[in-house]
Amino acid sequence: MDLVTVKGLSKRYGGIVALSEATFSARAGEVHALLGENGAGKSTFIQILSGAVQHDGGSIMVDGQEYRPANPDAAQARGIAAVFQELSLIPDLSVEQNIWFRHEPRTLLRTVNRGEMRRKTLALLEKYNFPALRPDQELRRLTLAERQIVEIAKGLAKDPRILILDEATSALPAREAEWLLKLTRQLAAEGRLVIFISHRMAEVRAIADRLTIFRNGSTVAAHEADAVSDNEIVTQMIGRRLDRLYPERVPTATDRIALGVKGFSSGSRLSGVDFALREGEVLGVGGLQGHGQRELFQSLFGATRASGTIELWGNQVSISNPRQALTGKDGIALVPEDRRGQGLLLTKSVRENLTLSVIKRFTENGLLSRQKEAALVKEMVDFLRIKAGTPEQLAGTLSGGNQQKVIFGKMLLTQARVLLLYDPTRGVDVGTKREIFQLMRDLAAKGYAILFHSSDMPELVHVADRVLVMRNGRIAATLEGDHISEEEILRAAMLETKAA
Amino acid sequence: MSAFLARNRLIVLAYAGMVVLLLVTALFSPGFLSVSNMRSTVVLAAFVGIVALGQTFVIIGGGIDLSVPWVLNSAAIIMALLCGGQDLPLVWVMPLLLAGGAFIGLINGVGVAQFGVPPIIMTLATNVILQGLILVLTGGSPTPSAPALIQFLSVGRIGGFPVIALIWLALTLVATLLLSKAAFGRHLYALGTSATVAEFSGVPTARTTILTYVISGLTAAFAGMLLTGYSGQAYLGMGDAYLFTSIAAVAIGGASILGGSGHYLGTVAGAMVLTILTGLLPALNLSSGALLVVYGAVILITVSIGSETFASLGGRLRRKES
Repeated sequence: MDLVTVKGLSKRYGGIVALSEATFSARAGEVHALLGENGAGKSTFIQILSGAVQHDGGSIMVDGQEYRPANPDAAQARGIAAVFQELSLIPDLSVEQNIWFRHEPRTLLRTVNRGEMRRKTLALLEKYNFPALRPDQELRRLTLAERQIVEIAKGLAKDPRILILDEATSALPAREAEWLLKLTRQLAAEGRLVIFISHRMAEVRAIADRLTIFRNGSTVAAHEADAVSDNEIVTQMIGRRLDRLYPERVPTATDRIALGVKGFSSGSRLSGVDFALREGEVLGVGGLQGHGQRELFQSLFGATRASGTIELWGNQVSISNPRQALTGKDGIALVPEDRRGQGLLLTKSVRENLTLSVIKRFTENGLLSRQKEAALVKEMVDFLRIKAGTPEQLAGTLSGGNQQKVIFGKMLLTQARVLLLYDPTRGVDVGTKREIFQLMRDLAAKGYAILFHSSDMPELVHVADRVLVMRNGRIAATLEGDHISEEEILRAAMLETKAA
Repeated sequence: MSAFLARNRLIVLAYAGMVVLLLVTALFSPGFLSVSNMRSTVVLAAFVGIVALGQTFVIIGGGIDLSVPWVLNSAAIIMALLCGGQDLPLVWVMPLLLAGGAFIGLINGVGVAQFGVPPIIMTLATNVILQGLILVLTGGSPTPSAPALIQFLSVGRIGGFPVIALIWLALTLVATLLLSKAAFGRHLYALGTSATVAEFSGVPTARTTILTYVISGLTAAFAGMLLTGYSGQAYLGMGDAYLFTSIAAVAIGGASILGGSGHYLGTVAGAMVLTILTGLLPALNLSSGALLVVYGAVILITVSIGSETFASLGGRLRRKES
């Protein structure tokens, strides 16, 4: 007997069909993966299931009864909770206050029962073996990954029969992602249904019992996980055969050093980093999350204070803010970690975002030339194949992959030739991922120098020419050639070496 | 054309509101649409509009300037004292006081941008300090009357047009060029939308912030001198009304009080709406207390219509991709 049965589910926004005739069924006690490119309809589907939006065609049956929640509270009342990619937590509250927000245990006087809340929090964290989290810690002090974990705890606190995880692993470093995968199996073993969205095939393979594939706003197939190959899945997702995800790695590095870093330190997170990035090279930065990767990227870009020396194309430079990093020919540009908080003006147009860093270039006698601007914007939109109705479309209304392309375009319009890419494929669909990797190789071939961090280890292994592994704010190892593998990266990241 | 409407809906709305208000006022007091009355309405609106020019830049950049009342008042009083009713000293007094206004703006801007003082605290503090300094300076005694030249600038006419209306028009042109046609404008909207994104994009955020407060200091000081010409003399407290009206004009004009949106063309309509309102309310034969209550309520309603439009825009963004 299926726990959830969906037939002919449809949803339109004005003239845009977000979901049409979707079919879905899932049993209690299984992990069910939803696969599809960004914009394929997965998000709309789970928004409807979680009560965030209402469908306007078709039916959903839960436990054989009609299900049509008016809001997320109504969905939770039927035992359905969702953990979304965009975080819903309140920075000023503590971890436990966030977990129990609006569902706090009460005393007889209806005040919040703090003791009970602490007890329930600790019990929850222990039962599901959560990675170290302090219940009283203020949320604003947590990293993106830790916040994602709190978000998961918040979903579990509602003791749902159906838990929806929307790309929950994309913000997590390897070890925590591993934990989450175990967690989904544990939840399924308890008889719950876990609906799981991920762009990482290996994860889906590791945990899913069944999977449903979305394409172009509808479901195209459902499979038992062990009865279908990766290739078949990918083919159904994109409707055509996808060539290799990773482009061929043709070495293009020259002997010229683009970025030489010596004795680079920042607070307690970065202590004495030395490395050299060469012209035409894609240099990976790996290691467990929280070992200085973020600080390294931000301080090279001038967004965080640091000491040490930086040589840019052979000249010693001092960079104390992003403006200095971006200024001049051959500067340094960053694709930041937080696309929506650091990278894009969501309420401004694609055009305004693309030209923000270089707007001075379009002025003549102090006045902007809209023609010159429009011409360059069109060139960049075409070059990166940014899918926007017009350049005037607001950046916040684009899909994740297209938002990331806008950030790349903004960076490429500057004269910078040292590119810092911090997890550029996070939450991006497979097709766009492939385009980004190809772009990185093309840029390297043109003489750009690229420093590349990814939270998805296979990306480092398949895309980077060399990989720096960070541990405790230092470079623990530099891997080259055949030594670049997930095993070697993990070994260097986790094990103390004698020489260090 | 429809794209223009969609982008500038709130500004168009402000002008529509202005026209409706004009017609309603004409119903209650039939003489309101006469040439002479329209002329005086525009003159009064110009003072609000000029103070609100600087305020518009500050608010778009995500700040607020509460120091305008006493920047305005200080410029008015010091001008009257230094000129002693003579025209000639204006040659150096006007540039000096404009520089003074800009300097106060510089202090505000540096406090906010470099030392991280919240704009409300920073500008409130400079406002109070200026108030104190002026009280010490004048000892509360009345000032000499305004020079004739400044009176000409505020109440005189050229070819039937009030001089101040022409000044306002010129300033509107400059503000529009800065916001729509200069790199500074782009930087300003980015800064007000997200200071972090602006910083990460290489926008000179500190310089841009400081410049907005400098502009606000300039326009407040300029308005103070013109207002002295209009009243014939400078007096203590003459700037107080302009705190509320300068901010309300920006908000009615469609700018988000949180920054990142709006335009001076909207503020111009806002200044007109506020001034017409002060013309309409007396025609309703209300007591002066009731008058203030209605005045405040109307502004509240006008501004919340604007914010509601913003709320629905935000909702649409949150729903985004499928």
